[in-house]
Amino acid sequence: MSRVPQIVRGFWVTFSTMFKKPNTENYPEQKDKYPPKPRFHGRHQLNRHPDGLEKCIGCELCAWACPADAILVEGADNTEEERFSPGERYGRVYQINYLRCIFCGLCIEVCPTRALTMTNEFELADQTRESLIFEKQDLLGPLMPNMVAAPHSMVEGTSERDYYQGKISRATDAQIAEVAARAGINANGQV
Amino acid sequence: MGLEEKLPTGVLLTTVELAAGYARKGSLWPASFGLACCAIEMMATGAGRYDLARFGMEVFRGSPRQADLMIVAGRVSQKMAPVLRQIYDQMAAPKWVLAMGACSSSGGMFNNYAIVQGVDHIVPVDIYLPGCPPRPEMLIDAILELHDKIQHTKLGVNREREIAALEKEALAATPLHLQKGLMR
Amino acid sequence: MTIDNTPVELVTLTIDDIEVQVPKGTLIIRAAEQLGVQVPRFCDHPLLDPVAACRACLVEIEGQAKPQPSCAMTVAEGMKVRTQVSSVMADEAQKGVMEFLLINHPLDCPVCDKGGECPLQNQAMTNGRGESRFDGEKREFEKPINVSDRERCVSCARCTRFADQVAGDPMIALLERGSQQQVGISDDQPFDSYFSGNTIQICPVGALTSAKYRFRSRPFDLVSVPTTCEHCASGCSLRTDIRRGNVMRRLAWDDPQVNEEWNCDKGRFAFPYVQEGRLNQPLVRGEDGLLHPASWTEAIDVAAKGLAAASGATAVLAGGRHTVEDAYAISKFARAVLGTDDVDFRSRPHSTEETQFLSSVVAGSGLGVTYADLEKAAHVVLVAFEPEDESPMIQLRLRKAVRRGRTKVTAITSHVTSGNKKLNATVIATAAGHEVSALSELALDANTIILVGERAASVTGLLTAATKKAKESGAKLAWVPRRAGDRGAVDAGLLPGLLPNGNSLTDSSAREKAADIWNVENNTLPFAAGRDFGAIVHAAVNGELKALLITSVDVEDTQHSASTLQAIENTPFVVSLEIRPSSITELANVVLPVAVVTEKSGTFIDWEGRPRNFGQAIREHNKLTDGRVLAMIADAMDVLLGQQDVAQLRAELAQFAAPTNRVDAPSHGADVPNGLTLSTWNQLIDDGALQEGEPFLAATSRNVIAGLNSKTAAAHSIAEGDLIEISTSLGSITVEAIFVDGAENTVWLPTNSGESKVRTNLGAAHGNIVTIKRGGGQ
Repeated sequence: MSRVPQIVRGFWVTFSTMFKKPNTENYPEQKDKYPPKPRFHGRHQLNRHPDGLEKCIGCELCAWACPADAILVEGADNTEEERFSPGERYGRVYQINYLRCIFCGLCIEVCPTRALTMTNEFELADQTRESLIFEKQDLLGPLMPNMVAAPHSMVEGTSERDYYQGKISRATDAQIAEVAARAGINANGQV
Repeated sequence: MGLEEKLPTGVLLTTVELAAGYARKGSLWPASFGLACCAIEMMATGAGRYDLARFGMEVFRGSPRQADLMIVAGRVSQKMAPVLRQIYDQMAAPKWVLAMGACSSSGGMFNNYAIVQGVDHIVPVDIYLPGCPPRPEMLIDAILELHDKIQHTKLGVNREREIAALEKEALAATPLHLQKGLMR
Repeated sequence: MTIDNTPVELVTLTIDDIEVQVPKGTLIIRAAEQLGVQVPRFCDHPLLDPVAACRACLVEIEGQAKPQPSCAMTVAEGMKVRTQVSSVMADEAQKGVMEFLLINHPLDCPVCDKGGECPLQNQAMTNGRGESRFDGEKREFEKPINVSDRERCVSCARCTRFADQVAGDPMIALLERGSQQQVGISDDQPFDSYFSGNTIQICPVGALTSAKYRFRSRPFDLVSVPTTCEHCASGCSLRTDIRRGNVMRRLAWDDPQVNEEWNCDKGRFAFPYVQEGRLNQPLVRGEDGLLHPASWTEAIDVAAKGLAAASGATAVLAGGRHTVEDAYAISKFARAVLGTDDVDFRSRPHSTEETQFLSSVVAGSGLGVTYADLEKAAHVVLVAFEPEDESPMIQLRLRKAVRRGRTKVTAITSHVTSGNKKLNATVIATAAGHEVSALSELALDANTIILVGERAASVTGLLTAATKKAKESGAKLAWVPRRAGDRGAVDAGLLPGLLPNGNSLTDSSAREKAADIWNVENNTLPFAAGRDFGAIVHAAVNGELKALLITSVDVEDTQHSASTLQAIENTPFVVSLEIRPSSITELANVVLPVAVVTEKSGTFIDWEGRPRNFGQAIREHNKLTDGRVLAMIADAMDVLLGQQDVAQLRAELAQFAAPTNRVDAPSHGADVPNGLTLSTWNQLIDDGALQEGEPFLAATSRNVIAGLNSKTAAAHSIAEGDLIEISTSLGSITVEAIFVDGAENTVWLPTNSGESKVRTNLGAAHGNIVTIKRGGGQ
């Protein structure tokens, strides 16, 4: 080997690499090919009960747990006219400052109702500080089938407890009609 | 800056804007400003697996004169602040700043006297990137958004108009001390 | 403060094998505290009688077969106590009790306001089992609209004992038995107390929570600042909890010398005024006759020019809300900058007799009668003073003294009030205006305290009589003003002819000293004593004044609101320093916004003469104190007073020494009104300007009624429940008549509640003659 000139030995590495398969993850072109692991800590989501009422009860435990003080919650009373969550209390104001958040996940660990979870979404860059403070409407999860958006009343004849015991499976017709009436749309058809 | 600033608005200026934007974003050389853990992810982004070279950005410059983009990666201490500003001042215009990670964007979890609470207190920031630290994909995403911004940068008269409009908007906006919630 | 030198009998016992000596009669739980052993407790409260209701504090006592509640047992010589620290039995017992208490306690900590500052949460963690063996259904109650979460209650009886022992109000009690035991209110007795907020604070679980604070915040959000209450002269120590520059709640702070651990609902809940509807920008009246927002520089300039132009014909009306420092700044500004002695803080009925009394007896007298003295006195005489309404902490302290059985209370007032009943007071029913003779007839000894209220000013000769009586019998005399700033204003010299700390303006050496401290020429200070509030208003109505400086005055407090407004209208130039828009700011030429009590630091002087310092609670609002604003105006008038920040003002005021040669106030003879008189005082919770915006508090105010003796009523053919019309030459008030147990020929009205706006509608003071007639029937 020592007889082979140094320069050839050196370029051999370069040359041989030409025949290796590149390990580049072509983000963003092949984004779906290398998704983050399910346990990845991405953007938060505020979940809903199966009928669309919010799970968040405004207890501020997430804000309490947050080491970076990135969460602001203000609770308020549910009223009969405007109900956002089962029970007495809901989160009226919910803000996460993503420029403070360190994605440690302590907030989702303390959440007593599993209202706050983390998604795998990570494309969060933005041009202003204001736009990176996500408010409740930005954080709330999408309406799945059979859900209607709060505020609306609880499923008739159920209590707060039934919601936590998983006895609610979907929004009832009465709830759908209520939300439709609220929005001023005719109750038949899509809401 | 140059001739393009003196062009009248219209088809010609628009075309020059497109060409200038394309050229600028196609070879955006970063001045590395690795200050803490984020710098590790920034290095990873430059390496083969994420390959920042695909966007014409492989040359991280230690010399500010040769750089267009400052990636502030990590917490900026009060002592580092004047140094950072000096590097920024030494960069040739047009230049951009990317605040990478929570600490450089807002101070992050280091809400204390030693850390600058957001690098935008020192230099104008174009893109904020959350994360602690952000993974390389997030950095690439932020860079692509910056590319988009550069592509649509206006020049000359158009830029002046844009500035006037932004100024008007800023004057009408709610002052920070009257805003509610986390903006306070 | 007097030091009690009586020897204390000590008892020696061992707790957890450590020998300890404590005074005889100490509870075991307190003795353990002295060793640093924290025995868990819920029902135990140092200011309430022991009841041993919760059983959380069980300890092992050698020789006793079963664990004993340490909060109800006093120590005995040679007793051997083992707490959870050294005894498995005590530890097991405590854990068992905790498990029982938690059986019916719901797991709703996340929605409970107490979460995070909850003794039950904390002690379940420190002295409870990790897991419960209970798997049945927890107790649930229907939630009444206004009271409590009864299922959270652990039946500690703290609230009921407070209501019974401290406040004396029948507001809340334990109902039912066994697991159904619950806190409730009686159907026929209204939930009506001035002290109900204290039950919220002492509830060791979240069973009683504040409607105002409901779901507003968590303890970790709050920045707690020690403050002093600005609502009355009791001087309560408070804790103000701030979240992001907004006051969330106020709690009573522990100050054994003053308010112990209590405060009244007004002090606790009346704070929305500090953030809602404030003046945020200076206003200047423009050419068009309207007020326009202006910059500080512009507004100060206009104010300075206007005041300078009116030189020689200016007067200052200061309210009774100021801290000592601000009151001093106003006093100094009037004398040194405006060169006038027409300055008075008494925006309420007053008299020359009162001016003389305050100048010679109260001003600069320092700490006089204290709360501790009240507790020790054998006899307390209340003259023209209703403690429950005018100084609730005196009410609580007197009730504590009376409950001990060593103190008796005599009240010279128009009728038996609910406050008098709670004090078990001997009421000498006296028609308003006739108090002098009633006081003179009393036989008093040296172990007596005479408390004179604010309305004594409107009874001619009463202050003279009280001073004389105190001197003759050796009894102690204290003047109890109603507002927090009154005593401080007297000390700061906000009275005509009075310099700070009781010095007289007409005393040439005191004048020289003042001119020296204020760094002005001696001859710029006025030479003769000026006019009081009433005389200033009178002069202004006649157009004799060219400019008025008004700080924190409510026209509704002044003797006759309409003439005060007329005075302001007839004055060409008016500068108003205010916190919120008022009928005065509407008429002013320059309105300058100033800081409220949470936004500044300062000192109130309570009725005892005790300085109550407090720090700035909210820094975010960038408001200026009255002192700073006046310094800016003075600067613009080329009189340099310095920065006039609180520290500077405080230091300056301290340079004024109290006079050594006090002159007795000239005596005034009694002037007994002939006819039916008006008895009136402000109820604790009324329509005062600082109580605005608080519906929950307003709901606890008392009914607006006219109280009169049945014989008087019969003489005017009035039946109970009739609407009656009370009138003077200036106007009338129509309210429902209720018969009270009181003196004849007098009718009582609340001063500023609902329809009963005595100052606005009658223009009358306590003791004035009014006419009544039946009006309208049922």
